[in-house]
Amino acid sequence: MSQCESGNLFATMLTAAQIAELRAAVGPDGLITGESQLQTYECDGLTNFRVLPGAVVLPRTAEQVQAAVRVCARHKIPFVSRGAGTGLSGGALPAAAGVVISLARMNRILEVNIPDRYVVVEPGVINAHVTQRVAPSGYFYAPDPSSQSVCTIGGNVAENSGGAHCLKYGFTVTHTLALDVVLPNGDLVTFGSPALDAPGYDLAGVFVGSEGTLGVTTKITLRIVKRPEVVQTLLAAFASPQAAGQTVSDIIAAGMLPSAMEIMDTLAIEAAEAAVHAHYPMCGGLLLVELDGPAIDVATLMHETRALCEKNGATEIRVAQSEHERMLVWKGRKAAFAAMGRISPNYIVQDGVIPRTALPEVLTEIDRMAAAVNLRVANVFHAGDGNLHPLVLYDHAIAGQEEIAIDLSYRILHLCVDKGGSITGEHGVGKEKQQALGYMFSEPDLATMQLIRCAFDPDSIANPDKVFPRARLCADRPGPYAPHPLETAGVAEIF
Amino acid sequence: MPKAAARTLPLALTDALPPLAAIAGAEHAHLNDDSISISPANAGQIAAILGFAREHGLAVTPTGAGTKLDWGNPVAPRIRLVLDRMNALREHSWQDMTCGVEAGCTWATMQTALARHGQMVALDPLWPARATVGGIVATNDGGPLRIRYGSLRDLIIGMTVVLADGTIARTGGKVVKNVAGYDLHKLMTGSFGTLGVIAGVNFRLHPLETQSRTWTAEAADPSHFEAPLHALLDSYIIPSGLQIRIDAQHCALDLRVAATPACLDEHAAELTRFFAPISICESSETVLGVRQNLFDQSGSVLLKASLLPSRICSVLSQLRAWSAAEGTEFTAVAQGNGLVDIACKAASDASIALIHRLRPQCSSVVALQLPAELRNRIDLWGCSSSALPLMREIKRRFDPERILNPGRFIGNI
Repeated sequence: MSQCESGNLFATMLTAAQIAELRAAVGPDGLITGESQLQTYECDGLTNFRVLPGAVVLPRTAEQVQAAVRVCARHKIPFVSRGAGTGLSGGALPAAAGVVISLARMNRILEVNIPDRYVVVEPGVINAHVTQRVAPSGYFYAPDPSSQSVCTIGGNVAENSGGAHCLKYGFTVTHTLALDVVLPNGDLVTFGSPALDAPGYDLAGVFVGSEGTLGVTTKITLRIVKRPEVVQTLLAAFASPQAAGQTVSDIIAAGMLPSAMEIMDTLAIEAAEAAVHAHYPMCGGLLLVELDGPAIDVATLMHETRALCEKNGATEIRVAQSEHERMLVWKGRKAAFAAMGRISPNYIVQDGVIPRTALPEVLTEIDRMAAAVNLRVANVFHAGDGNLHPLVLYDHAIAGQEEIAIDLSYRILHLCVDKGGSITGEHGVGKEKQQALGYMFSEPDLATMQLIRCAFDPDSIANPDKVFPRARLCADRPGPYAPHPLETAGVAEIF
Repeated sequence: MPKAAARTLPLALTDALPPLAAIAGAEHAHLNDDSISISPANAGQIAAILGFAREHGLAVTPTGAGTKLDWGNPVAPRIRLVLDRMNALREHSWQDMTCGVEAGCTWATMQTALARHGQMVALDPLWPARATVGGIVATNDGGPLRIRYGSLRDLIIGMTVVLADGTIARTGGKVVKNVAGYDLHKLMTGSFGTLGVIAGVNFRLHPLETQSRTWTAEAADPSHFEAPLHALLDSYIIPSGLQIRIDAQHCALDLRVAATPACLDEHAAELTRFFAPISICESSETVLGVRQNLFDQSGSVLLKASLLPSRICSVLSQLRAWSAAEGTEFTAVAQGNGLVDIACKAASDASIALIHRLRPQCSSVVALQLPAELRNRIDLWGCSSSALPLMREIKRRFDPERILNPGRFIGNI
């Protein structure tokens, strides 16, 4: 199989001539080269990886993106596109002396088409703004990563973002109809169309989730969905997450497809309570089930869900009685990661997936693994689709504990793969899990993915040295969690 | 991965048979007039067959039951790679609502097995009793259920593919939520066998729809459905099938909804309101199967058009007018999501004229099936995608010797 030529990845800085070309591409007010300003772009939500880029460009149009990418292509300068920088796997980490293409200024909603149920947006549009725009017509944009109040659609496309409601509504790719993409050679092409089944390969399907390694999207056509007539959220308290997990299996077995099913364990409940006072019942395993649809259907299914909770020994069952109460329930859930800071000095956020039925077994094994090294692991997960977010708690101040925590979080990922799952359900591989991808896929699988990479980016300049395992055999360092600047500023809750 | 072998002189089929028979067993390799049919037992044998084909420059067409072999540009393969022996449902993790199936399994066989646990792959393709998983995926087929559950892109969670150079690659996995690595399976879905041979597919499953009702409204012209269709699509009703079927004389709208009985009763009342003054009556869900009839008409020109849902009624009205003007006999079934299948029986010139008239009105019009004499008169795929050079490059990377269905796909890929 042919290998990509390696780009000029080892340069230490951009030349004055290259910077002049970038300035010409985006205009003087679209270029950042001062060190203190560049520091804003040295990491994303995975803050322990930091690399200072050579320059940041802030294009306002697809043409400016093209011009900037052409400069990079001409000199084989690595580039990475960036939205709000909320990613949790280091996907937006710059290359040293590379260019960051920030899409923050391309933040217009270009078209809203209610009869055909789509919107056309620029990549810098914030996820929640799409829903805000179409809500008056009774529609919403379904993918809802917890950072949705700040994260951008361009970043969602790169990561194929999910959220709690993808159990029913699917992921970013489910809702992406068409994309304009600047390829790594600077060509501007269109994948897909607002109408279905555009002839040719499904390049939009391939591009979504490619973590910035295939090009830069400059325009996205998103499907919007009719808001359901009724949304109801139930909380049920169980003695253990395993009992809550059994209830999830029973709900699925009964043929129901709730819009979300989430489980939190004691540690996670404690942390969330301390942070946002969501009035969760204290218990070993808290189950949150959201049902939506026609009112009459939701009422019937809620009745069934209650019965299944009772059957599995729920000690308390509550249905949020108002929209305010429902939002509070979700606020607690969405704040769970950031809230860990209240019960532990440091922690690592992981993102693994297992077949749903492996849940009790995997939770027991995680407990055992944690106890063996004297650490605590809090569990918050999208139980409906088996997406675990184990949070490994530790104290950096205790010598050697960080290494043990990193090793544990890494072994948890391996456990997920061993049980037939995946190393990432929504955070992406990025910088953090490159080696773990090599644990999940064999060499021929990875070589085949490289065929796609090389067709799009033969010089390997688009977000190089991400996603795929490096040739050298060094272990990954899954990062300890450090608060994102947005989070510190109180703008966002991240996970 | 093996290096590309130098292409040797064309091999006579009689000489190619023994080495191929050695791979799959003599009883599984047959000489036809113009090709060899060979049925591999596993992905390893597919790899060996492709290796042989590549070495000798023999074009290969992967096939299941052959129900859609006429779709796309014609290919004259020397090897017909028949997946009929690879027909097992390997795994049905019913509690996880996933399954893994070999590509040669027929759709109906798979669905029957899944139904034992009240589950299904939520797709209703053509010829379910004969068509195989691999062929359905390669052509990205799907019927009325798409409006509720999406297309194969949304239902496939993993795949095993054999590339032209013999590489056996897995992509995705067995879990519904997974963003690790590139989604090769999305590239393979709808690629018409031009990038690799699909050996196995993993699906996410849905519960069978146990309670449903179907309604039908008739009108003189599709324009009468414009307002009710808009109201319906903007309502809380979630269709599991929505189509307008039309020919020169008849025009009807069919709607199928799966929900609880009480909910269906509510919908019935709403529908009467949406459709007034047209009457809408309860009918049988078999009406949703009418798409199949179009594809069963032999000798027809078959078109797959795609348009925005808001344009369905006006384009169907135009289609009827043009057909009358051109003197063609046509039948069309438009799904509520904007995918329209059109069958027409017409003289050559009239058929070509109809396609030319339709194309500017639609997002795309692919001539899935054309009589042989028309095939060189029009571009079947009818598309000038800005991404075509990239698609060619992908083909070049995956199949540099062009042995897999050469020329069949868009842009003669």
